[in-house]
Amino acid sequence: MRTTETAPITTTDTPVVPEPPRLDVVHLAKSYGSSSQKGDGGKKVIEDLTFSVGAGEVVCIVGPSGVGKTTLLKCLAGLQPASSGYAAIDGRTISGPPPEMALVFQDYSRSLMPWLTVRKNVILPLRHLRLAKAELKARCDEALEAVGLSHAENQYPWQLSGGMQQRVAIARALAYRPEILIMDEPFASVDAQTRFDLEDLCLRIREDFGMTILVVTHDIDEAVYLADRVVVLGSKPARVLRVVDVDLPSPRDQISTRALPEFAEQRTEVLALIKRPA
Amino acid sequence: MRTSFKPLAAGVGGVAAALLLWQAASGARAAGGSLPSVGSVATDLGALAGSPDFWSALAQTVGIALLGLAASGLGGIVVGILVGSFEPVRYATRAALEFLKPIPPIVILPLVVLILGPTGQMSWFLVFLGCLLPIVMQTVDGVHSTDPVARDTARSYGMKPVEILVRIVLPSAMPYIGTAMRVSAPAALIITVVAGLLGGGPGLGQSLYLAQAGGDYPTLYALVIVLGILGLLFQLGTRVAERRLLHWHESYREVAH
Repeated sequence: MRTTETAPITTTDTPVVPEPPRLDVVHLAKSYGSSSQKGDGGKKVIEDLTFSVGAGEVVCIVGPSGVGKTTLLKCLAGLQPASSGYAAIDGRTISGPPPEMALVFQDYSRSLMPWLTVRKNVILPLRHLRLAKAELKARCDEALEAVGLSHAENQYPWQLSGGMQQRVAIARALAYRPEILIMDEPFASVDAQTRFDLEDLCLRIREDFGMTILVVTHDIDEAVYLADRVVVLGSKPARVLRVVDVDLPSPRDQISTRALPEFAEQRTEVLALIKRPA
Repeated sequence: MRTSFKPLAAGVGGVAAALLLWQAASGARAAGGSLPSVGSVATDLGALAGSPDFWSALAQTVGIALLGLAASGLGGIVVGILVGSFEPVRYATRAALEFLKPIPPIVILPLVVLILGPTGQMSWFLVFLGCLLPIVMQTVDGVHSTDPVARDTARSYGMKPVEILVRIVLPSAMPYIGTAMRVSAPAALIITVVAGLLGGGPGLGQSLYLAQAGGDYPTLYALVIVLGILGLLFQLGTRVAERRLLHWHESYREVAH
C-alpha cells in the first residue's frame, strides 16, 4: 500500500501517475466574505489544496461533510475564482468554464430543466456547439443508451425516479463528450441497488470513453471501489490530509472487489484518516 | 359534506338563483325604474345579436384589448428580463415600480385623449400602459427566482449569457409571466371598456355610453351581460393558454402514480 503525504510531496510522487496530470490543483485556497482582500476577515473554506489527476484516472475526493468539497468543484469548473493558488488543465489555468470539462451536480433535480424532456435536457448543452443534426442525434442516442434510458427520452425529469434523473444528468454530461468529468456526490440520494449500477456505469464510462473522472463523495466504500487514488480531505478549512493510492484489480466487481481483504484494508486506512485527522 | 356533490349542478343553481333575485328586485321596483326585468334584457340581448353595429363594436373591443395585452406582454417581458438581469437596476427601479403599480391607468386618460383623441389607438395605449407594470414586475421576480443550480449548470457547459437568458432564465420566469398575463387579461378588457365609456374610444364602452345617455336601460344591461361573458371567456382563454405553456410546472403537472 503506497501512500502519499500532504501537499508538497505530491509533486515528487508524479512518476506514479502514468502520464502528466491533466488536472492540476496547486495551493488552491478559497475564502468567502472578503473576496478582494484574501486572508483575514472572510470565512476560509479551503485552506490549501494540492493534488493532481492524471489522464484516464478516476480520482475520488472524500472528507467530512461540510468540508468545502462543493466549493472546490465550483472552482475547478470555473464557476468561481480561487482566492489564491490555481487549478489548471494541461497546464492552462482555469479562469472560466473549461470546454473539455463537464460537471454533474449533486442536486440533479435542480440541474435538470423541468420544461424540457429527457432528450431535450441532454441536447441542451450541445446546442451552442452547432453540431450537424445527425451528430446531435447520435450523441444523444448513445448517451441515453449508455445510462439505459432510451425508453424515457420523451418523458419529463419530474416524471422519473431520483436514480433515473441522476442518470439523465450523467447522460447529458456524456453527450457533451467531455475529456474530464467531474461529479459532485452523484449517487448520494439513490437506493443501494441504483447506486451500485451507477458506480459501475461510472467505471464503464472511463473504459468506453477514456475519460478522466473526478468524483466527490462522502462514502468511503464508494471512493475506494471507484478510484485509482483517493484524496482525503480534512476540515476546517479544507486541506489535503493524504492521497491514498488504491491497489485493487481491474475490472472491479461489486461483489468480489468489495470482498477482497485489500478493499477492507484501504477503506480502513481512509476511514482512520477521516476519523482521526492527524 | 355529502359525497354526491356535483360542481356543475351547483354552478347552474347559483346562476339561476342570481337571475331569480334580479327578477324579484326588478319586480319590487327596488331601484326605481332603472332596473329592467330579466325578460326585457333578454329580448334586447336577442336584438343586439341581430345588429351588425353590435358585432363590430364587440370585435373592436376584443381587438383593442388583445392588441394592448400582446404589446404589454412583449414589452413587459423584454423590460422585465433586462431589469431582472442586472441586480443594481433591479434595486434602482424597485421603489419607482412599486409606487406606480397601484395607480390606475385611467388617471392619465384625459392626457392620452388630449394627445391621441377618442380613437382606438388611445384605447390600446391605455391598455398597454395599464398591463405593462404588473407584467414587468412579475417578470423581474421570475428572472430573480431562476434556480442558481440551473444557471450554474448552463454556465458549466459553456453556454453564453444570451443563450442562458433565452433557454434557462426565460422559461424559469414563465410561471410568473403566466400569472401576470392571466391577471392582466380581464384588466385589459376593463380598460378598453372604460376608455370607450369615459374617453370616447370605439367598442362596447361607447355602446354602453350611448345606451346610458339615451336612457335605454334594457340595452345597457344587455351590454353589461355581454361584457361579463366576455370577461369569462378571457379568463378561460388565458387559463387554457397557461395550462398548455406551463404543463411542466408543479401546479399543472399530471403525474401518473
